[in-house]
Amino acid sequence: MFDLFHNLALGFSVAAQPANIGFCLLGALVGTLVGVLPGIGTVATVAMLLPITFSLAPVGALIMLAGIYYGAQYGGSTTSVLVNIPGEATSVVTCLDGHQMARQGRAGAALSIAAIGSFIAGCVSTVLVAALGEPLTKIALWFGPAEYFSLMVLGLMFAVVLAHGSVLKAIAMILTGLLLSMVGSDIETGAGRMTFDWPELSDGIGFANVAMGVFGFAEIIRNLEVSKESRDIVQSKIKGLMPTKKDLKDSSGAIARGTIIGSILGILPGGGAVVASFAAYTVEKRISKHPERFGKGAIEGVAAPEAANNAAAQTSFIPLLTLGIPPNAVMALMVGAMTIHGIVPGPQVMTKQPELFWGMIASMWLGNLMLVIINLPLVGLWVSLLRVPYRLLFPSIVVFCCIGIYSINNSATDVLIAAAFGLVGYWLTKHEFEPAPLVLAFVLGPLMEENLRRAMLIARGDPSVFVTRPISAGLLFVAVAMLTLAMLPLIRRRRDEVFVE
Amino acid sequence: MASGHRAGKALNSLKIRAPRDFWGGVALIALAVIAFWATRDLGGMQGVAFGPGTAPRLFSGLLGVIGCVVMATGLLTDGPPIEKFALRGPAFVLAAIVAFAAMMQGIVVPPLGLVLSAFAAFLISISGSREMRWVESLIAAAAMTTFCVVLFSYVLKLPFPLWPAFML
Repeated sequence: MFDLFHNLALGFSVAAQPANIGFCLLGALVGTLVGVLPGIGTVATVAMLLPITFSLAPVGALIMLAGIYYGAQYGGSTTSVLVNIPGEATSVVTCLDGHQMARQGRAGAALSIAAIGSFIAGCVSTVLVAALGEPLTKIALWFGPAEYFSLMVLGLMFAVVLAHGSVLKAIAMILTGLLLSMVGSDIETGAGRMTFDWPELSDGIGFANVAMGVFGFAEIIRNLEVSKESRDIVQSKIKGLMPTKKDLKDSSGAIARGTIIGSILGILPGGGAVVASFAAYTVEKRISKHPERFGKGAIEGVAAPEAANNAAAQTSFIPLLTLGIPPNAVMALMVGAMTIHGIVPGPQVMTKQPELFWGMIASMWLGNLMLVIINLPLVGLWVSLLRVPYRLLFPSIVVFCCIGIYSINNSATDVLIAAAFGLVGYWLTKHEFEPAPLVLAFVLGPLMEENLRRAMLIARGDPSVFVTRPISAGLLFVAVAMLTLAMLPLIRRRRDEVFVE
Repeated sequence: MASGHRAGKALNSLKIRAPRDFWGGVALIALAVIAFWATRDLGGMQGVAFGPGTAPRLFSGLLGVIGCVVMATGLLTDGPPIEKFALRGPAFVLAAIVAFAAMMQGIVVPPLGLVLSAFAAFLISISGSREMRWVESLIAAAAMTTFCVVLFSYVLKLPFPLWPAFML
């Protein structure tokens, strides 16, 4: 217990340095700015803003990225309350009651309860991350290559189960991501693999290029198709930002339950935040005495999912920071960023770079505070941003993304590779393939291959090592069980319903 | 894509019932074959140790199998048609990106610096929109260019040349 306070104090001494507070604020601000734009989800926002953090020192860069992540998520909720277009999956649920509240002239209350709910959830889950971080890194000591490999298989299977649509297609995306990650020099022998004698590929395909392409450019191209805009922006002036006493009383239980649900689901690999907000909304509707109010502007219907998705966003850092395994696409982007700064995510980060580890955790809390501080007064600005027509927004995003990728290596090839992945991403959506598992696998690929090779070498080429070591066998069993369940027709139908709802 | 579509139909008495799955599967198989072919010169298993080619071949083999299953799904189950691919939007966005890369790096044209490249990329991509208006676009392009120069060159201090090399 004393350790926890000591560590948090260390973290706050890092996070509270003026420069780091500045990065956190800047991250939250630009994250919200981009996240607010309709049709651009959290993953796309983080992918687009990733390059601007590369020139910073590692601690500052990660703090800023975390800020961008929370900002993007909050920006998405703002859009779904004010315009009836959810920016992304996590805010679909917020849309249901939030937009109804806005139509009844209660947009201010909806936005502020979302901010307050997120903040409370953020406080609780930050402490949770800090408390669980240390014991969980101890688990990592029991992990050998076989266990790591199986854990990554499990993480990827979660991503498959939680992807929309066909399970097979999601697995295909994972294999594609793994193959793409193998382009370039082989780590052990240095042999060039699948480079087609193209010198630009000898270092492999840059992860930022893939992410920017399939999430950034592809999203822009796809949004252009629906540019016949039928945006339903709330026109009335937003007044009464502060929620009433009754609002607070009504939503306090919902926030508490949302926080608990979100914290638990966030730790699980896969799609944490999305599932969390759906689950929290469903629970509120189930236990409510007046379920008929839901979908017609019930404040609990905003408070619970917002608290849940923020808590999940926070706790999804746990598997990343302790085991080095990203549980979802945003965390995969984080891994990519860490790797570019020369940090190998995993249990050793906590012991070797405690100021980075605890600084990041403390900045999570600061980031949440920033969101409340900047968002409530700035709502007016976001509203005016939402009125900017898409025909002016998309060229801005294109230019911004181009400069961003170019800035990583001053390389035109990088920009062109990202453009190619943009087309790939566009093609994928037309054929109902999800890009998120691809990116997750792309990031995990090198780690997976390394651990697979090492495990096989230690076991003298006997593949049964993955099922004879108990922890590894357990992880694989869960992976197979989940996959089987997802393939069963009954559950498959229910899963589709959840996404359609 | 469209011509492949017809060829596939003519070739096969089996009907393509879910084109998204069918052509998705075909693409996966193609990717698996390319990856497998690209690793042909790489060493495989050396005793009990993986060679550089083992894992890529393993994964491309798996991808090929799944590709076949996805393709078969397209023949055996019904599914919606493939949505039309838009041409205009993607073409202009792509042209803008390529133009930006070429102008920054000095491919074909001399290196023109961040200001002109960003401005041009903005104008090219906005031409992809059917609702484009000139005055508004020029103002927006200038504003966005200014914003990017301030952000990348002054706030983030990235060493971009701002103006064409021959002007300095």
